[in-house]
Amino acid sequence: MGRTVGIDLGTTYSLIAYLEPQTGAPKCIPGPNGSTLCPSVVSVDTDGRILVGDPARERLLTNPDRTIYSVKRLMGRGVADIQDELTRFPFRIDEKSSNVIRVRLGDKLFTPPEISAYILRELKSWAEKYFSDTVDRAVITVPAYFNDAQRQATKDAGRLAGLEVLRLVNEPTAAALAYGLHKQKRGHVAVYDFGGGTFDISILKLISTSEGDIYQVLSTNGDTHLGGDDIDNALMDVARREIHTQLGLELDRHGEAVQELRRALIRAKHELSSSEKVAVKCRISSTQTYSREFTRSEFENLIRPIVARTMAPVKLALADAKLTPKEMDEVVLVGGSTRIPLVRKTVGDYFERPPHCELNPDEVVALGAAVQADILESGVKTMLLLDVTPLSLGIETMGGVIAKIIPRNSTIPASAQEMFTTGVENQTGIDVHVLQGERELAKDCRSLARFQLKVPPGPAGLARIEVRFLIDANGILQVAAKDLRSGDEHSIEVQPSYGLSDAEVEHMLEESIEFAEQDFAERQLIEARTEAEAILTATEKAFRDPRSEISPAERRSIENSVAALRSALAGTDYKLVRQRIDELNQATTNLAEILMNSALQTALEGKRLDDV
Amino acid sequence: MSVTKTQSQIVPGSACWNCKAALPAGHFCSACGKIQPLPEGTDYFAFFALPQKLTIDPVALEGEFHKLSWKLHPDNFTRATEHERNLSLERSSQLNDAYRTLRDPLARIEYLLLRLGLRKEGATKQQAPPELLEEVFELNESLDELREARAEGGDVASLRDRLVESQNNFNEKLGGLDEELASVAREWDAALDAQPNDATRNALLARMNEILNRRSYIRNLVASVQKELAEA
Repeated sequence: MGRTVGIDLGTTYSLIAYLEPQTGAPKCIPGPNGSTLCPSVVSVDTDGRILVGDPARERLLTNPDRTIYSVKRLMGRGVADIQDELTRFPFRIDEKSSNVIRVRLGDKLFTPPEISAYILRELKSWAEKYFSDTVDRAVITVPAYFNDAQRQATKDAGRLAGLEVLRLVNEPTAAALAYGLHKQKRGHVAVYDFGGGTFDISILKLISTSEGDIYQVLSTNGDTHLGGDDIDNALMDVARREIHTQLGLELDRHGEAVQELRRALIRAKHELSSSEKVAVKCRISSTQTYSREFTRSEFENLIRPIVARTMAPVKLALADAKLTPKEMDEVVLVGGSTRIPLVRKTVGDYFERPPHCELNPDEVVALGAAVQADILESGVKTMLLLDVTPLSLGIETMGGVIAKIIPRNSTIPASAQEMFTTGVENQTGIDVHVLQGERELAKDCRSLARFQLKVPPGPAGLARIEVRFLIDANGILQVAAKDLRSGDEHSIEVQPSYGLSDAEVEHMLEESIEFAEQDFAERQLIEARTEAEAILTATEKAFRDPRSEISPAERRSIENSVAALRSALAGTDYKLVRQRIDELNQATTNLAEILMNSALQTALEGKRLDDV
Repeated sequence: MSVTKTQSQIVPGSACWNCKAALPAGHFCSACGKIQPLPEGTDYFAFFALPQKLTIDPVALEGEFHKLSWKLHPDNFTRATEHERNLSLERSSQLNDAYRTLRDPLARIEYLLLRLGLRKEGATKQQAPPELLEEVFELNESLDELREARAEGGDVASLRDRLVESQNNFNEKLGGLDEELASVAREWDAALDAQPNDATRNALLARMNEILNRRSYIRNLVASVQKELAEA
């Protein structure tokens, strides 16, 4: 069994964290360039190789048609849902896709869970390198306001990445966990989570019991399509307009400039959090450059409507928790967009208290996920999260009206039983349509699934099928049916309205060539081989060096170790290769010292080392 | 969304599924400590080991909810067998359903009536209580006038005032009904202590049911007025 980690699969950045056993504190794991932030960008190069993170982000400029960002916006959604996104995001959606979106990258098609799986795999490889051990289980965070299909898609992504998803945890809840650890506070906490693509607000009650701390979510609300991306888009709209009027150019005809400009504007947005004004300059065509200065007040006027949109969910969440802004003991800010001074001020004014922002808003969600992962993994419970389902669950009844069976903000797991019967004689099936949402009519709610209960023919009203709807601790719905007359359990063929069926996920898993463990072993072997080649070359070079005065016995011992390493290299056992490398290192310690000393001497004699 | 099969129920209430020890009522086996299946027909009161009384101390209930959450939550069973994981899911969902219902005084009464067969889920009487007939008639008339005025550009403002007034009036009635309901609920609790005969019990239950019907009728009225006012 390998390691367990916590992962924040974000719209803009993704992070991976673990609980450090010595300190008991959660910690984010850095990638190859030392940063803990992995840009949630995936690119496919011409020979089919997948690039993730920084290298993929570079390719947004050079190969935009083979590169995708903000794929989280597409998770668990259908083509009809994303029409508005398509005007703002350069997603290339395959025309044939309907209930499962397929994105074109170069000449291949990918589903959003597959793309997210590449990001998860990249993070997994960071951690595996860091631990020198496999990573096979994870807690993954999702926006609190994600619906069933979006959660299921995230879980599918985990599976495709070779991870057992121990739990999906809501992002603000994970943040509260990390925050609570940090502050040891009790009372009512509001977590305002304004990220790259989503906005969430959660109201929690922190309780101390004799057994441990309980983090009870009282209510949650949000907007799964409101985030820093929208601020970037607002800036882009200004620039697009001005490029048209001032330079007479249509920005969208200059594909390569779009991403460059976007990047420049995002940099400007970041700078305006600490500066009062910032200059933006970007070449649009070979002869024309767009440049302008943004002041902070101009920026604030531009984004005020976007920031204001976050307040409606805040008010609804408080109303559902039956609390007033003043009754909050703490307000915690999460997500990169909360670095914007206007956001801080808006939140502070509403709650009449300065919000907390001492934790790194980028890392706090991943840190909380790592804490929860450790609890689930170790079985040692020091705290308990009680989360809620963000949306009401209902079934369609006569006339397309919804009957709510599990209200929103119910603590999960939550369940409801419904009895179904036949309406006409010899009816053999009862259609059930399950939905999620707050509206009264089925057409305004989110369809989760349809299924048919099979019943033996008989008089109307005789059949009695009890269907149990259960929302599990991940916020994902399970359905089970029982024929009360026969006592038989019922098999239900569920067709999910959006997303992949189980069979499709299985198929993708089989198709993916690089399986998790194999992947890890291969990478380890490649790294060990490279290292072995280097030490063998160095040893040979040392033998040839006239200054290497060593005894014949020592020479023989080194030669034996070299032979042993070479034979290990013929095999595929990376652990054996590592062991032989260590042995050779051991055998050459004295030789290395001799050479080092004479090299020093040479240097002292005024010669450059390179000349030796 | 995923589909699970109903797990084959071991007949509960008799012996522990694991160690076969005789089981008293409880969430866990007192001998081996394993989580137990929920006996068929366990009601929300029984889940919390409470009598079917309608007065419940909210602080004590919350404390018990937290205590049971700590023990029954699926977090405790991530490394247990699939059978135990399913039992945890079943018990913890039941715990949450029970707490959600019992903490709300009104939902609590509705649930009791439902369990005792006096109420059907979702079924509320749509006919107006006789003593309200006149007021309801007037209200509906005002609502019609408002819709008409809005469509044809009539005097919306004065109609609004009239509606707001009758909304307040109905809200006041709701308050009165809540008090009435609370007092019958107290009678029920007292009667329960005194080992009532069926006739007494049924009379109290019928009264509560009748108040709830009136209440839901008025609530629907108020909701429709609110909706019209919001649109006007």
